Amino acid sequence: MTWRDGVLLAFKGMAGNKLRAILTMLGVIIGVAAVIVLVAIGQGASSLVTSRIETLGTNVIFVSPAGGTPFPASEAAMITRALPFPTLVVPEMNTGAKVSTLTASGGAQIVGTTSAYIHLGAISIAAGHFLTPLEIAQDQHVAVLGANQVQTLFGGSNPVGAAVMIMGQQFRVIGALNVVGQGPGASQDNDIFIPMTVAQSLLSTTQLSQVTVKTSSPDQANLAADYLTNFYTNAFGSATAVTVASEDQVLQTLQATRATFTNLLAGTAAIALIVGGIGIMNIMLVSVTERTREIGIRQALGATREDILLQFLLESMAMSLSGGTIGAIVGVGLVHLVPVLLKTPAVFSPNALILAFVFSTAVGLFFGLYPAIKASGLDPIQALRYDG
Amino acid sequence: MIRMVSVSKEYPMGSEIYPILEDLTFHVPKGMLTAIIGPSGSGKTTLLNLIGGLDTPTHGQYFLNEQDVSHFSREQWAHERNRTIGFVFQSFQLITALSARDNVALPLVYRGIPPKVRRLQADDALEQVGLGHRRLHRPSQLSGGQQQRVAIARALIGDPALILADEPTGNLDQATGQEILELLQTLNRAGKTVVIVTHSAEVAQACRQIIQIQDGHVVTVAQEMERVR
Ligand SMILES: Nc1ncnc2c1ncn2[C@@H]1O[C@H](COP(=O)(O)OP(=O)(O)OP(=O)(O)O)[C@@H](O)[C@H]1O
Ligand SMILES: [Mg+2]
Repeated sequence: MTWRDGVLLAFKGMAGNKLRAILTMLGVIIGVAAVIVLVAIGQGASSLVTSRIETLGTNVIFVSPAGGTPFPASEAAMITRALPFPTLVVPEMNTGAKVSTLTASGGAQIVGTTSAYIHLGAISIAAGHFLTPLEIAQDQHVAVLGANQVQTLFGGSNPVGAAVMIMGQQFRVIGALNVVGQGPGASQDNDIFIPMTVAQSLLSTTQLSQVTVKTSSPDQANLAADYLTNFYTNAFGSATAVTVASEDQVLQTLQATRATFTNLLAGTAAIALIVGGIGIMNIMLVSVTERTREIGIRQALGATREDILLQFLLESMAMSLSGGTIGAIVGVGLVHLVPVLLKTPAVFSPNALILAFVFSTAVGLFFGLYPAIKASGLDPIQALRYDG
Repeated sequence: MIRMVSVSKEYPMGSEIYPILEDLTFHVPKGMLTAIIGPSGSGKTTLLNLIGGLDTPTHGQYFLNEQDVSHFSREQWAHERNRTIGFVFQSFQLITALSARDNVALPLVYRGIPPKVRRLQADDALEQVGLGHRRLHRPSQLSGGQQQRVAIARALIGDPALILADEPTGNLDQATGQEILELLQTLNRAGKTVVIVTHSAEVAQACRQIIQIQDGHVVTVAQEMERVR
């Protein structure tokens, strides 16, 4: 039998029982589509991290107290002095709180900080202005709202000049921020920024949540991280009392988590594909039994073991490859729909497509082999006598 | 064409060994029209399967076309059947999913002959058995006699030297059986060696050599010498 006859025969075999073929292929279709879509979602998540690294730069480090380590507001000045090169040091104290206007209310992350925060480059002003040194020095009750807060408290209209109640005290809105968006780290869209001095009296503590240090280069950031790690290890006699992490490290950890996530998704999809393969094997075994007589006839007319093997192997591969093709089309289609439907970025990866094809071919080969061997090993006399 | 020397066939049944055919020695000359007769269960089908290489003898030697094929492998037999043997079965053995034409063309598929040539030859073979107009019909759309004629067309398509028929008229009425017999006789006149396993005295009488089997032994080999040219 020529290859061409074998392939024709395989597709004829499939066409002979279309519904069964499609149901059998369904497993592979779902498996391949799942590989493509899930990998795209995983890649989409990673690409967020990557783009974040690119826009922010990685010359930022975060210093935060662990557990009950005392970390008063004066630490900011301490850090500035501890480092042998000029840096931008921004202290922060955070707390969740209820906020309200006359017409609306909600929850917010209250960030008490200095005017330097805006220079970290993480946020940008949409209306009004950010906290000024003067406002901070005068303990003014002023607030800058993240984009989501503008939306919930003011329905999206310009809030500058309006009043907002935070923890029972009235604040005047002096600025509104642009949307930061869903990123790998914390988003500032839900934040409300107030002077650190005001936050201290509001919370009646000087304990800081975090200090952000911006250096002029990633190298310097790493150097600063080393310096500060040493500094706090000496100061507290423990390497874990204060956490010093460069943004680079934070993002790398995130990146690794995302990669694990992507692999997990791909693994899940691969399992679906294997289940599809078992479905093919099952149907091919049924088909071999049903066609026992046909096999006997072909053997009597001169089909060799190899001819019969090829016939059934090609049929299972035709099924898995057809399933793979349909699955790829469905998968690529879904990749375009995911961002619209799930509001999650999805990045189509040609590698996933290749992987899916290679995998579905392998599945057809692997799971088709046993039924095909079984068919080719039939005894012609028994096969011709079979009545099923 | 066929020479069997002390051939026997045994089947193991559990711990015991059942001899089905014992010490068969006979010769079917080229161009012969031979009937194998004998009571049911005497081993006729088993013998025909040995001749066609669907089964292999336990002992003895088998020469097909002067070639010792006693120890042919499955693959060798597949090729041999494909080139030199045409089979006709009592139950027709057509593939139900294929048209008459595709059924007839099947032996050529395993010779690697291209589809166009196969189609032409299959139509030609169907024409020879008087079924040219039914070439696109499925077996289920044909009568028993027509199905058997399709099977004969399939047996003759590759121009094999030997045609083996196992009770080819067993499932057919008298008149249709006669038609099938005539077709086989025509093939024989055209030079093919034809071996027919039959229960029908009429079919046996039409043959020029009769091999009678009883209890796994050849009882008589009768030839009408005067009719052999
Ligand atoms: N695979 C097998 N295993 C064991 N015994 C077998 C096998 N095939 C056939 N036999 C036995 O061999 C004997 C001869 O069978 P065979 O089919 O050759 O008879 P037959 O002459 O063709 O009979 P019939 O005229 O009924 O077709 C029978 O007794 C049968 O039971
Ligand atoms: Mg029989």
